[in-house]
Amino acid sequence: MQISALNPGFVGEVYGIDISAPLSLDQVAAIEAGMDQYGVLVFRDQKLTDEQQCEYSRNFGELEATLIGQMSKPSERRLGPVEMGDISNLGPDGKLRGRDDNRRMYALGNRLWHADASFRATGAIYSLPSARVVPGFGGNTEFADMRAAYDALDTATKALIEDLVTEHSIAFSRAELGFDDYGEGNADKIRPVRHSLVRTHPVTRRKSLYLSAHIGTILGWPMPEARAFIRDLTEHATQPQFRHAHQWRVNDLVMWDNRTTMHRARRYRDLEEVRDLRRTTIRGIGLTAAQVPAMAAE
Amino acid sequence: MSITINDLTLGFVGDVSGIDITRPLSADEAATLEAGMDRYAVLIYHDQPLTDDQQKAFSRNFGPLELAAGGTVTKTAERRLDGEMQDVSNLDANQQPLARDDRRRLFNLGNQLWHSDSSFRAVPAKFSILSGRIVVDAGGNTEFADMRAAYDALDAGTKADIEDLVCEHSLIYSRGTLGFTELSDAEKQMFKPVRQRLVRVHPVTGRKSLYLSSHAGTIIGWPMPEARAFLRDLNEHAVQPRFTYAHKWKQHDLVMWDNRTTMHRVRRFDETKIRDMRRTTVAGDRVTVEQMAA
Repeated sequence: MQISALNPGFVGEVYGIDISAPLSLDQVAAIEAGMDQYGVLVFRDQKLTDEQQCEYSRNFGELEATLIGQMSKPSERRLGPVEMGDISNLGPDGKLRGRDDNRRMYALGNRLWHADASFRATGAIYSLPSARVVPGFGGNTEFADMRAAYDALDTATKALIEDLVTEHSIAFSRAELGFDDYGEGNADKIRPVRHSLVRTHPVTRRKSLYLSAHIGTILGWPMPEARAFIRDLTEHATQPQFRHAHQWRVNDLVMWDNRTTMHRARRYRDLEEVRDLRRTTIRGIGLTAAQVPAMAAE
Repeated sequence: MSITINDLTLGFVGDVSGIDITRPLSADEAATLEAGMDRYAVLIYHDQPLTDDQQKAFSRNFGPLELAAGGTVTKTAERRLDGEMQDVSNLDANQQPLARDDRRRLFNLGNQLWHSDSSFRAVPAKFSILSGRIVVDAGGNTEFADMRAAYDALDAGTKADIEDLVCEHSLIYSRGTLGFTELSDAEKQMFKPVRQRLVRVHPVTGRKSLYLSSHAGTIIGWPMPEARAFLRDLNEHAVQPRFTYAHKWKQHDLVMWDNRTTMHRVRRFDETKIRDMRRTTVAGDRVTVEQMAA
């Protein structure tokens, strides 16, 4: 197995490995070391079944359910288990979703820069989408390196943000686009969680900005001031020098570390062309900040 | 002494010298400046210590003034300046910086979002004219983006897609973006959305420009989340460094810009310091698109 840099220090392409087959401990360790060094790894020509993708992913930890999977009834899901995230524009019938479809509206939030599952108290470690069908135009995934973005901050800003704690909720990112229809029984899933704005990678000890569209405020700050400041930081952190665009090919698997990167999807002709990505996600371990105990009345 | 305009960017921002705008202008001088505005879009003047009355007199060379009412949550009794002056300071009526959680301050933070002044009015503003009476040393720059150049740089497919699109603009949308959502019924009525074309044509030069603004909250006929995601993409395109210019303020600078062809925003600064900026606004004279019946 070899890794060549597509974007020095940030995105690597992995050769010489078949991830549809069981991996040795050495291979898993080599991939994890690559993830720590880069942040994003691209595997080409990996034809995977859902089961193979899950099996490959479990090398790196426990699988995390997607929130929209948990918010949906089984009959509303195209893919079976909630651990198999459906990053497509297809309904449970396998047909393209309509323009006003609630799930399409929800999924448009993926066009905002975010870290997956930052709305969970433990966040997520890796995301591992596999491209089964890709559109002919658009639909790139873009990544931004939150370690490099942190490093490039001036000293005063680093000092200002060192101990700041943010609140994240799926409701914040979706409200940004004017979406707030989560259906009944999902109020508990949009309750904000807390995260440190600056986090340290457990292996490399590098600091990074833990930014995400799911951030709605900073503890102790008036919300509009917090939002304006988070926007400034996000603008800084997503400048071209910190960014990489991945153009999908069928059977690409890309894995990224949500602790050190943000990403977003770009527009494509989603009413006309199919884009079928299936994502597994590795559950986070530990908190980045102390949480507020859930209120008994809820 | 004759007016000279130096190009600070390629055809976007002009630096004006050779004129004292504290005194009445001749018709020729006013025409020269108006032509400069059409050619550039942003003009910068230095060392112009103005009173409010002088600023208003200068501004009226370019048309009648727009009133501040309807664009703020500051109540009349709380106003520091008269109704023809837009108070873009961080001060209360006693000249003290507003407290961190003061509602007026939080509302004004919306000025950190890229916008075009008064795009939330059915007849939006022509020029904004901003005088720096007390400026801060660090931060507080005003940045401008050229919406003509941004339009020109769109690909043909996008130009065709947007040609006839109509957006809804409201202060409710721009403030909502920052989580400022608590508005009284009277404020909601005052900030009722208006319609604006997404592509507009300058009445003198005939150039097309993107009419974007943080106040734009949806596109007529589109689902709101799709409209917002698309407007964000257009915004990101339009405020790339090659289309923008940052003005660092010195005391007694005056900057005037054409809201029909530009966006702008203020950058963060230490709000315990006094920043006293005063704006006059030259009213527009037409809608960009037919409005809904009230």
